[in-house]
Amino acid sequence: MPEWVEPVVRYILTEGLPATLRVSAIAVVGSAVIGVILGTLLTIEFLPLRALIRLYVEVFRGLPILVTVFMVYFGLPALNSALEYGPLTATSIALILWGSAQVAEATRGAVQSIPAEQHEAAAALGFGWLGRHRSVILPQAYRRLLPPGVSLLVNIIQNSTLAAVIGGIELLQAGKSQTERLTFFPPAGIGEIHAFEIFAFVAVIFFLISFPLTRLAAYLEKRLV
Amino acid sequence: MDLLAYDLSAFVSENWRELLDGLVNTLKVSAIAIAGSFVIGLTLGAARAHRIPVVSQLTAVYVEVIRNTPILVQIFMLFFALPQAGIRLNAFTTAWVAVTLWGGAFNSENFRAGFEAVPKRYREAGLALGFGRLGTFLNVTLPIGGRISLPSSINTYISVVKNTSLMYVIGYAELTTTAVNIAALSLETLEALTVLGIVYLALVWSLSAAIRVVESRLALPEER
Repeated sequence: MPEWVEPVVRYILTEGLPATLRVSAIAVVGSAVIGVILGTLLTIEFLPLRALIRLYVEVFRGLPILVTVFMVYFGLPALNSALEYGPLTATSIALILWGSAQVAEATRGAVQSIPAEQHEAAAALGFGWLGRHRSVILPQAYRRLLPPGVSLLVNIIQNSTLAAVIGGIELLQAGKSQTERLTFFPPAGIGEIHAFEIFAFVAVIFFLISFPLTRLAAYLEKRLV
Repeated sequence: MDLLAYDLSAFVSENWRELLDGLVNTLKVSAIAIAGSFVIGLTLGAARAHRIPVVSQLTAVYVEVIRNTPILVQIFMLFFALPQAGIRLNAFTTAWVAVTLWGGAFNSENFRAGFEAVPKRYREAGLALGFGRLGTFLNVTLPIGGRISLPSSINTYISVVKNTSLMYVIGYAELTTTAVNIAALSLETLEALTVLGIVYLALVWSLSAAIRVVESRLALPEER
């Protein structure tokens, strides 16, 4: 193998991959927690609250995620200098805004698919609204949320590449910076273009992560529904 | 950056020409990509649903590769990696090719699922009535399966429109690139982001509203 390969691969795997995984993990957990809460609240009757959450969901599902990333990365600091985040954190926040909107919509559907008798039975047993949802409704709704949840994970991992647009070093940006480095003259680079090999390598890493997950989502969909 | 200096109307009146050009480019790329992904989705989806040898397997590979790699990586491959193989696409070509390939892959899954949802006995009835295989597809599978796949394929078209914003990375002057570049010079960041937010939401929301109308018009009789 040519000499340039080893440092490039090492940089992508040690600098890029952990960042992609970290951004994705934060975004998935944040989206799940906020999304389930908002989605459950979407099923209650109080209109102003529902309208507010509905607006949140429609706005962040409607915007291109890149625009949301720009809003967090460029827009928030322009509003208040205390809200300045690094590219990776800003991407995580944007992905949580988008992902939680997706989860909220899915949760609303899942909660509403639980028969009314379950609510009534739980209420008859003395559960309040919170206990009823936490102990009876949501555990049943989770089953329906699992397949779209895995699909969301795949989407979040792939969309974490948006960090590259604002200079955050994740898999894609790591590949890009190595591609650029190799085009420099020695000692920094070797004065050659290897964009194809490097971006193909990045694509392969994403494929190896995503493919088993999309299979899993399809399998769960078949089994749980 | 001063919040008191926020002036949306001044921003729009100074830059509306460029912003409009950007919007037109967004719509242009979106229109090409929607038409393209409709054609790709219909043909490859039909090939997969009917298990046409070779085409069906190649489609599966195409779909899995596109679905399991980020679209941004695909754009980088087209724009930064292909020139190494001597293929140079300009920004506009890269833009529509990238979103068409992406939308086509998702859409062929949408159409495949729709065609496969058509009960087998409908097709058998078509064949029994003397339609050939193509005739059965055009008269039975397509009108029924096409409508079943309509909601999911329209969601794909909406994603295609949103994904045109990614052409910022190759500097194609669609709406996002235009607005962000204006803001980079004038420092009117919040105004530019407001315009982007309003225009994209107006686009996406009106598309989804139009869709609901089309959906109810074209719905199968038993679903009305």
